[in-house]
Amino acid sequence: MNPDIYKEKLIHTGAEASLYLGKWFDKIVLFKHRIPKKYRLEEIDNKIRMERTLNEGRALIKVKNYGINVPQVYEIDSQNATIIMGYIEGRKLKNLIGILNLSKKEKIFKEIGIMVATLHKNGHIHGDITTSNLIVTNEGNIFLIDFGLHEYSDTVEDKSVDLHLFKRVLISSHGSNYKVCFNAFLESYRTEYEKFDLNESKSIIKNINAIETRGRYVKSEDRM
Amino acid sequence: MKKYCLGIESTAHTWGVGIVSFGGEDSTLINKTFVPEKGGLHPAMIREHHLNCFSDVISEALLEAKLSIKDINLIAFSQSPGLGPVLKIGALVARMISQILKVPLVGVNHCVAHVEIGRLTCNIQDPLTLYVSGGNTIVSAYESNRYQIFGETLDLAVGNMLDSFARDAGLSHPGGPKIERLASNSKKYIQLPYAVKGMDLSFSGLYTAAKRLLDAPEFNDKYTLDDVAHSLQETAFAMLTEVTERALAHTEKKEVLLTGGVAANKRLQQMIQYICDEHNARFEAVPLKYAGDNGAMIAWTGILRFLSKGRHEINETIIKPKERMDQIEIPWRIEE
Repeated sequence: MNPDIYKEKLIHTGAEASLYLGKWFDKIVLFKHRIPKKYRLEEIDNKIRMERTLNEGRALIKVKNYGINVPQVYEIDSQNATIIMGYIEGRKLKNLIGILNLSKKEKIFKEIGIMVATLHKNGHIHGDITTSNLIVTNEGNIFLIDFGLHEYSDTVEDKSVDLHLFKRVLISSHGSNYKVCFNAFLESYRTEYEKFDLNESKSIIKNINAIETRGRYVKSEDRM
Repeated sequence: MKKYCLGIESTAHTWGVGIVSFGGEDSTLINKTFVPEKGGLHPAMIREHHLNCFSDVISEALLEAKLSIKDINLIAFSQSPGLGPVLKIGALVARMISQILKVPLVGVNHCVAHVEIGRLTCNIQDPLTLYVSGGNTIVSAYESNRYQIFGETLDLAVGNMLDSFARDAGLSHPGGPKIERLASNSKKYIQLPYAVKGMDLSFSGLYTAAKRLLDAPEFNDKYTLDDVAHSLQETAFAMLTEVTERALAHTEKKEVLLTGGVAANKRLQQMIQYICDEHNARFEAVPLKYAGDNGAMIAWTGILRFLSKGRHEINETIIKPKERMDQIEIPWRIEE
């Protein structure tokens, strides 16, 4: 055990992981420990936790290169399913949507649009974009976290699914704010992605509707 | 005089009739379920089955409730979602009785009914619901006046997947309980694909992989059917539990309801109980009688709708085979 690296206190217990605040030499850091899930067999559990830890650690390091605000990774310990990363102080976007005024909301969702478009044009799929996985700092910077379900992909389909999942979260959790937020998000996503590939940008956005109509129990007249 | 609603369930292979009092304190239900001699469920054969038994089941339910058809004040029927030809029989019978008796008629969404009967029978207020059956796999919770869907299967329903696998393994319908029994004999886990996408699930790859294990030359040599059943069940239920836990953390609900035919599985109950304990949420599995498809849940949901928003006119009773539970507003919970 290195005396300069230690956990100080548990600050959050999520669905997948426990988060501890601690020290990594002189830095204040976050220990993200994917806790064993006793409800599933050890064989399943160990494999999933190890894979997702490695996957998340690698993804965080890669996407930081594109200038996306994500936590800095200091250590990845896949055996213990733990990542030591920079601590982002701020609030979950989920808890801010109800409080912010219209122009602030639009500004934030436009920024998220640029972020996600940047990820996508570089072949990264976040896999779980929700308002719980977006942190707004006191300075107003937006950080994207939780890359446990990250995948590499260049297909239109995977990118559309990523957007579709985000849209679904906005509808189910922020019904009254959904339209304003999602429109601002999609508009800036489109603008940003178009700089890279105009046709693909169009296909991705068009494909969101196709995914929705593919869903279970969609009225036949709503199908394309 | 107490008022009663007669509810008709006819979305899939069960023809169910339930009679429930307007206060919800008395309920009777009779089910008649079509079981195919071989193969899966063919809509035309289910339709035939329901047409042959509908009136007997209604009489039987009235007899058991010690009521006459004249004591019925409201008719409810499953209007959505389900197999078109089968939904039509329920709608037809409901319209007919309503017109003969001159009592109001109400159409009900089957998935919403599963949640509502669970809230009534388990005395639960505002649950996150995991609804798992042969036709549906949905994680939902009440938000903005709807039962919002947080997670669902992208392809097969989990019950359908288990039944199909059982059929491939030569087990008779329904396969779920048989797989549960076989699985309990094994402790050997064979790696199978685990597909969780955000809060959504996919079972088709898992099904194909398990089926391949049955066809492989090592079958009955290196592993047995018990081992495959165990591995399949463990993987599928771990996926279900993971998305339920994610939705629980996201919605911060304090109660979890497990319902649908697959809710009877003890292993699944154990897994969901485990995450509820971790999140300090109360866990309830709907009693088997009310967890599977039945008429009482339709009757009860019909009463809720009738008391809050009134009857449906006859032209509003067209069946909607594809209606999702998050497409409709829930008027009886609006004051919350």
